[in-house]
Amino acid sequence: MGPTSRETWAQRLGTFRASPSTFMAGPEGEDLGRHLLSDLRSEKLSEPTKVSLLALSLEYPAQLWPDAPAAEVAATSLLDTLVLLPPRPSALRRPLLLAATTALAAGGALGPTSRASRRLLPLLLGLASGRDLGRSFGPASEQRPLQATAWECLRELESCKPGLLGGCLGLLRGLLGQEAAVQPLSLLLALALRNALVIQARARAGLQGLLVAGDCPTEGGPWNWMLAEEGDAHLQPQAPSWPAAEEGECCLATLELSPEEARELRAAVAQLLDISYLLTPVAQAQLLWLLGWALRGLRGQPPVLFKPQLVRLLGTAQLTLLHAVLALKAAFGEALFTAQDEALLLRRLILAAQHPALPLPAHLFYLHCLLNFPENWPLGPAGEEAAPLLLGSQLCRGLLPSLLHDPMALLARLHLLCLLCVEDEEKEEKGQDQSPRQYLEELLAGLRQRAALDGGPRALATLCFQASYLVARCLAGQPVVLTPLTHGLAQLYRARPALAPHFVDLLDRVGPELGEPLKVVLRQEVVSRPGRDEALRWHLQMLARVADGDAQSATLGFLQAAAARCTDWGLQQALLQVCRALLRAGVGGGLADLLQALARQLEDPDGRDHARLYYILLAHLEEPKLGVALGPSLAAPALASSLVAENQGFAAALMVQEAPAPIRLSMGPHRAKGPVPVLQLQVEVLEQVYSLELRFRVERQLYAPLGAVHVPCLCPGRPTRPLLLPLQPRRPAPARLAVRALYTTPSGLTCHAHLPPLLVNFADLFLPFPQPPEGAELGFFEELWDSCLPKGTESRLWCPVGPHGLEALVSRHLEPFVVVAQPPTSYLIAIRLPPDSRLLLRLEAAQADGVPVALRTDDWAVLPLVGDYLRGLSAAG
Amino acid sequence: MAQRAVWLISHEPGSPLCGTVRFSRRYPTVEKRAKVFNGASYVPVPEDGPFLKALLFELRLLRDDKDFSESRDSCSHINKTSIYALPIGGEELWPVVAFMKNGMIYACVPLVEQTLSPRPPLISISGISQGFELLFGIQGFLYSGQKNDSELNTKLSQLPDLLLQACPFGTLLDANLQNSLDSINFASVTHPQKQPTWKAGTYKGKPQVSISITEKVKSMQYDKQDIADTWQVIGVVTCKCDLEGSMPNVTISLSLPTNGSPLQDILVHPCVTSLDSAILTSSSIDAADDSAFSGPYKFPLTPPLESFNLCYYTSQVPVPPILGFYQVKEEEVQLKITVNLKLHESVKNSFEFCEARIPFYNRGPVTHVEYKVSFGQLEVFREKSLLIWNIGQKFPKSMEISLSGTVTFGAKSHEKQPFDQICIGGTAYLKLHFRILDYTLTGCYADQHSVQVFASGKPKISTYRKLISSDYYIWNSKAPAPVTYGSLSL
Repeated sequence: MGPTSRETWAQRLGTFRASPSTFMAGPEGEDLGRHLLSDLRSEKLSEPTKVSLLALSLEYPAQLWPDAPAAEVAATSLLDTLVLLPPRPSALRRPLLLAATTALAAGGALGPTSRASRRLLPLLLGLASGRDLGRSFGPASEQRPLQATAWECLRELESCKPGLLGGCLGLLRGLLGQEAAVQPLSLLLALALRNALVIQARARAGLQGLLVAGDCPTEGGPWNWMLAEEGDAHLQPQAPSWPAAEEGECCLATLELSPEEARELRAAVAQLLDISYLLTPVAQAQLLWLLGWALRGLRGQPPVLFKPQLVRLLGTAQLTLLHAVLALKAAFGEALFTAQDEALLLRRLILAAQHPALPLPAHLFYLHCLLNFPENWPLGPAGEEAAPLLLGSQLCRGLLPSLLHDPMALLARLHLLCLLCVEDEEKEEKGQDQSPRQYLEELLAGLRQRAALDGGPRALATLCFQASYLVARCLAGQPVVLTPLTHGLAQLYRARPALAPHFVDLLDRVGPELGEPLKVVLRQEVVSRPGRDEALRWHLQMLARVADGDAQSATLGFLQAAAARCTDWGLQQALLQVCRALLRAGVGGGLADLLQALARQLEDPDGRDHARLYYILLAHLEEPKLGVALGPSLAAPALASSLVAENQGFAAALMVQEAPAPIRLSMGPHRAKGPVPVLQLQVEVLEQVYSLELRFRVERQLYAPLGAVHVPCLCPGRPTRPLLLPLQPRRPAPARLAVRALYTTPSGLTCHAHLPPLLVNFADLFLPFPQPPEGAELGFFEELWDSCLPKGTESRLWCPVGPHGLEALVSRHLEPFVVVAQPPTSYLIAIRLPPDSRLLLRLEAAQADGVPVALRTDDWAVLPLVGDYLRGLSAAG
Repeated sequence: MAQRAVWLISHEPGSPLCGTVRFSRRYPTVEKRAKVFNGASYVPVPEDGPFLKALLFELRLLRDDKDFSESRDSCSHINKTSIYALPIGGEELWPVVAFMKNGMIYACVPLVEQTLSPRPPLISISGISQGFELLFGIQGFLYSGQKNDSELNTKLSQLPDLLLQACPFGTLLDANLQNSLDSINFASVTHPQKQPTWKAGTYKGKPQVSISITEKVKSMQYDKQDIADTWQVIGVVTCKCDLEGSMPNVTISLSLPTNGSPLQDILVHPCVTSLDSAILTSSSIDAADDSAFSGPYKFPLTPPLESFNLCYYTSQVPVPPILGFYQVKEEEVQLKITVNLKLHESVKNSFEFCEARIPFYNRGPVTHVEYKVSFGQLEVFREKSLLIWNIGQKFPKSMEISLSGTVTFGAKSHEKQPFDQICIGGTAYLKLHFRILDYTLTGCYADQHSVQVFASGKPKISTYRKLISSDYYIWNSKAPAPVTYGSLSL
């Protein structure tokens, strides 16, 4: 097939990008990767088209070459394309290098056995270090961008395979002094250094002269994969040196450096920091994260090396730089930042969080940093947002919320204000300033006023409720805040009942400190003010959430009045929802009257049916069962339609539910005594169950029907006694028992479950004969032996004996049935097989590997079972 | 510290999807690392379609907020940063850095180099700030000097190449995309040693340095006993240094006259090599006192090639340049308004322009206006319910001007008239817009002698100053007005 045209490719790439998965599932998907590689070498396609093909391969290698072998082939092909380029300037060299690197790293093909890796690595290193590659590799004008690209490729490979360049540290350091490509080299050296330190620390080895090691492999020469192979299992985070986040994970403390190595390391770090000014701000930040991580916890490496950089960094407005300083603060704490430094950093952070020259997302991030500030001596619990100790209300003045702020800024600042109110409360001080609490109240009132705007956007209402929620959560213990909030919210409801869904949501989420009083005032608000038709819908929705056993008569009065105005189906359903809530709350007398009235009065037959059903439930079910019957369905989330939700609730409560087995049954040890065989069942409890009834069914009716077993309660983790299941065999034969469990869950639902069938083995039916009088055993046995014939049968077979010999075999399996024993060679055994058969065994003259068995039984049918049983014995050991 | 993917999405309220992905870029090698680092909590980067939908929903940009939706409107669903968790295919993609500016949504997903459950605090994720810088960088590139859609499209089409340069593997190398563009163009130049990475090439030509100081003044005036008026100056110093040599050293000093207002909250460009601790610590957070550092503010630096913002500062001047009051009384369908403005005598009375905009929100269209102005002209925009009082270039000798009148409104119809969530009831404001050239409110200036250049040739030094208003509000003193904590605690 010839190369695809430019237009076809453009169209194909467009379709691919619109939805890669759809494209790959289509007819062109399978060959896309192959076509792309071959067309890169086509002379008919222009360079821009080829660049766009390479761009695709940079983004979607996993789709184009889904496994490691395919990625290896692709990388090889890309490298071939690269070396085959004519020596004139070309826009393809850089993307080809990037694409080959991406294919290897993303495809998981990078490794010592990959030929493409063995080609790519020396090529990159050669290009990067400006070494003569033996033949002209592109024109001179392209050398510098190619060099920078090669460094970046190497860094990406080192990121994906830590330790890959561990053997080149010395070379990199040497180049850092001379090379023009300061930034890529600095970043690569810092990364490789950090990785090498971590890998060596894990291996409990020193740096082993890596920092001063001389040369690196040239093209064709062997690459040193040693460090990479060691580091391979542990892809190293490049940056999250947040000590609180992964305490104890830092293992650098175990790294033993010789004084010489420590000095070299310090020199390397100092060298990197000294020229860090030449890097772009984002690259400087990366360098600081990496070096901070490299030195953290390393003995004998004081972090003062960073100090000269800090003033310069603190002065800038760059998000990444300030963030990197915070990372250093978190990593080194007091060792790098004195109390004064800490105060200065905090002030810079406060300033940055409100500086008018910075964009809002930066403000918000700084505010987050402020509430997660890595203090030298934190007081509060780790991992919780809190205002740093040094951050008093005076310093925060500019950070407090106002109605003019964007919603996100308002919420972030409100959180800070709440934290200040907590402190304010603790201090109980009344200064000159207006107290933050008062300010908070006014702010919330302003938010409510905005939310009350008829026809205003929902976002305003949402913001008001978010703020209320935040305050209720942060200041749950402060009634002095919650009381005005409660009343303010009640007022808001009065002004705009359409916000009922927001109120219900708020009630569902806040704790009882706000939730309980709010419920009460909202209920009052609703029942004392029968609204117009439009509001009635909301009132009913509200009431369904807040109605409970209190203030019954007012609530019922409201409902009675409302019933007359509930003319459409939706309103009637809403009304019934309230009734349902009252039913659950255990409201009795007056509700029965209302339901009866509704059952007659409602226009909609469905509504009448429901009212009648509720009435019947109220009249017939006890309160707890009623609660469960009307409780929210556990099986499915509540649906918009009250009917569906209702049906599910009823179905769940009043019907038996199929459920996964709450227990596991297994056969316990065989009990050979008593008049009938009795199975001992061991119970493993998976879920708590009550009133468990186990029902057994014998397949093929080999035994008489079995009685059910009842257990009042089973709890996971608590020991259980074995269950005894007596069997009444109709024939002495093994059987399968099907098992079903019926039980009640802790939430009151009745469930049934199928358990795996139980297998009753032939030997489980064995019973001993009554013990004959002492001295009469032999005679007793012989009598039984003779009685078997002529009705029954006699047989002989060879029973192999395991390594422990006959004695062990008998004591393990046949002990209860032995009538006469002459260990170790001779046993006479009599077994009763219910209902009325017998099996007699003579084990005499045992040899090393087995014993001849003479057996008689009065039941022909058991012979094959006996044969299987005896042969199975030696296997069982 | 790397990005797994980056997107640019234009917000198109009218279109069926409410937006279009204008650009996206994925970084598969980073994605591979994310899979390893995140382990069981790994959520793959989705395709553009599902991402667009989830992001717009989360940012409340889909046009269907008529009904309460728990996943969006629940009170406990609180975002306090521009970092989101997007529900996609039953899982949550987190952290997604995203913000909207000028109708364009900028988004990226930074790599988190650990498990995501429990979620680590954002401050511990290095990729977050890098993601922000990348998005700010793209935004800066798209909107620097961009005037219209076709220019925007041209710039969008340059993005793939630029990111190949500035962020080839998802790790950002330079947030200044213009610099990356230049370095593509400069690629053929051979470089001397130790060239800063943020400087794409070297300048050849006549040496010149230009420094311009722009101050914005904002104010909130209430004319009330218990609420203090507030005002603040925000300054930005922009420089362009055309100097030969790979790393020319320059020191720029800003000075204040004897009665000038000290500069505070100074943030400098990263090219500034060192900072006096007095500059670092002068801050508006502290209560003002006489010991405040009042300069000269020296900034030693190695300038980049392009124009750059040397520093930002704020300042608290003793009085606002224009003090005013605004009174609105509601009389049935009419509003009776009175405005009084007074220019402070210390301020240069020579404006490029000066006007007061008086909007009326949440009301019907203006049907009738009767007014009297002591100075300037009043324009009425009936449909927009807006009055513009054009004051002109100069205040009169008395420095004081006034406007009084009555405004009558027609019936309110929701669609047409401007809605405002602040101006409810009597709450109303007027906003001043003015500009004064060759003037700063703080008095801050940079003169020719304050610039030291350690490079070959004596450069020509030019300096510019201007003051402009920004968010200069005067609130109706007869009704409640939104206040900041600062207004109450003075």
